Amino acid sequence: MKISEITESARFAYESLNSNKLRSLLTTLGVVIGIVFVILMGWLLSGLDAALEKTVNVIGTDMLYVDKWNWSGGKNWRDYESRKDINLAQATEFCRRVTTPEVAMPIAQKWGAKIQFKNQSISGISVQGVPAEYVLTPGGAVTDGRFFSKSEERFGADVAVVGYNVANTLFPDGDALGKEIKIRGHKFEIIGVVEKRGTFIMDFIDNQTFIPLQTFLGIYGTSGRSLSIAIKAGNEENLANARSEAIGLMRQIRNNQPGQPDDFSINESQMFREEINSLRMSTWGVGIGLVSLSFFVGIIGITNIMFVSVTERTKEIGIRKALGAKRGAIMLQFLMEAAALCFVGAVIAFAFCSTVIAVVVKVFFSDSDYLSSYVPPQLLLTASVVSIIVGILAGLMPALRAARMKPIDALRYE
Amino acid sequence: MAAEQPIIHIEHIAKVYTMGGEKLYALRDVSLDISPNEYVAIMGPSGSGKSTLMNILGCLDTPSSGIYQFNGLDVRSMSDNELAEIRNKEIGFVFQTFNLLARASSVKNVELPLVYSGVKRAERRERAEQVMHSVGLGDRMEHKPNELSGGQRQRVAIARALITNPAIILADEPTGNLDSKTGKDIMRLFYNLWQSGNTIILVTHEEDIARHARRIIRIRDGCVESDLPNEENEASYSEAI
Repeated sequence: MKISEITESARFAYESLNSNKLRSLLTTLGVVIGIVFVILMGWLLSGLDAALEKTVNVIGTDMLYVDKWNWSGGKNWRDYESRKDINLAQATEFCRRVTTPEVAMPIAQKWGAKIQFKNQSISGISVQGVPAEYVLTPGGAVTDGRFFSKSEERFGADVAVVGYNVANTLFPDGDALGKEIKIRGHKFEIIGVVEKRGTFIMDFIDNQTFIPLQTFLGIYGTSGRSLSIAIKAGNEENLANARSEAIGLMRQIRNNQPGQPDDFSINESQMFREEINSLRMSTWGVGIGLVSLSFFVGIIGITNIMFVSVTERTKEIGIRKALGAKRGAIMLQFLMEAAALCFVGAVIAFAFCSTVIAVVVKVFFSDSDYLSSYVPPQLLLTASVVSIIVGILAGLMPALRAARMKPIDALRYE
Repeated sequence: MAAEQPIIHIEHIAKVYTMGGEKLYALRDVSLDISPNEYVAIMGPSGSGKSTLMNILGCLDTPSSGIYQFNGLDVRSMSDNELAEIRNKEIGFVFQTFNLLARASSVKNVELPLVYSGVKRAERRERAEQVMHSVGLGDRMEHKPNELSGGQRQRVAIARALITNPAIILADEPTGNLDSKTGKDIMRLFYNLWQSGNTIILVTHEEDIARHARRIIRIRDGCVESDLPNEENEASYSEAI
């Protein structure tokens, strides 16, 4: 293929589109819709990925949680239910004996608690009794005020560090610090607010409220409660070592016999990847369906209009052939026209999506930091490439017909 | 010997169309040679097969049987793309209806054959401008065909035919759509081209036009009726021109 033929084809494509603006625009509609789906799907998936990363970071990539329950739960629910609770003595023993991780600590929690401030209240709160070391975990990231100290923990001080959502609901003006709230009738002074951490995967996490472990046990008691053990490996390389030590030590403490399965679970952030992956799969499933359907319709439309274009230009094809255009040159002209048609569609789709995404994010997800408010640039490339491939597919049959015309028949055509 | 070789050598060619099971002979049996720098007119009434002959000579169509050699190469065994290359490099077409691309400027039309032989843009433009000047259209480069008169359009077409320095110029009723004065101008142009060494094949049904050629081949019912040199008035003709 000669360069002069390629530039000539580009000119040909431009002229053809330019002289039939409205027709080109209407024809490309199917492709526009297809590309819109491609872009929206890509945008959603990148939002999902960002949310996943954030979630994983919230939990901590170097964190392990020894629990009675398995987070990814589901099928074996009854098995978990029948396990013995992890009691305070076991948790304390574990934390005393463990050596590999940077830090390990017992955590007690109460779901569905209620917090009162004057005559307002917020329910569905998870109250967590934690030691002062909790400040080292991602959950201890306080934006406002401070976390409680070792001595406050030891003496069971009535201080609380509230989640972002709690602070925001009870104190929309941002003046939560120093306020006195009531949890189960007990008075607590707010000394810190945790940064916003939740995504749509774990929106409940911003409802957590932390009080010293001793205080918690004083209010809620120790019986009928299974504790968790939070383990901070220190870094991701140390995670595997920490995990195997935790399993061995816990089996020992829980008196699991050889051959008997663990009667506890080791939970970690990686588990959320599975949840995200299933979400990703269903997004793909719906997306691929819609995309193929609209591309199918789009390709039919473009093939049809390209046949019209070939027929309209029969005489011109004849002239070009008489002057020495080979099959490949004629073929290229029509393929380029079809590809250009689809590329225009991609540009329109891109402009449309950029607007829609910007508006949607601004109006509905203004406080989201995982959905981007613009189309990710790599999607621009994907959409362009996809549109050009679609154009070539759609143009193939008409272009072949044009290329195979006999010059003498084409020249005689009126 | 090589210098003596004809550009076109055809032997017993026929062109048959089958329509509704019946065989129609557009050409029955035609043999002829055309040598460099000849000025040949192919004449005949409509339906005589002269257009079919022209299409075959121009490699736009292939014969059903017989031998066609172009510069010693066997045309019948060529592929579509090889034929396209012959048309591109060796043949310059001038059509009755001009056959210019309506949306392209005259200079772009003239350049077109060079696009398909891969000549670079700057050289294309330079050569096109040169040829445009030689046919007297130096001031009409950027005009589109519909902004030109019939005679000017045919000059664009001639310029386009000349730009590749083809072995033959094949003109099919080149004055058919022109008034007689413009037609005369065009014929004078052909005469000058012949004088400067080009080989010209003219297809026409008009005696007046055919008389410009130096050899007249008459076709009737798909066969060569006569093939004679035209020596009647070369001296007076060239004076008249």
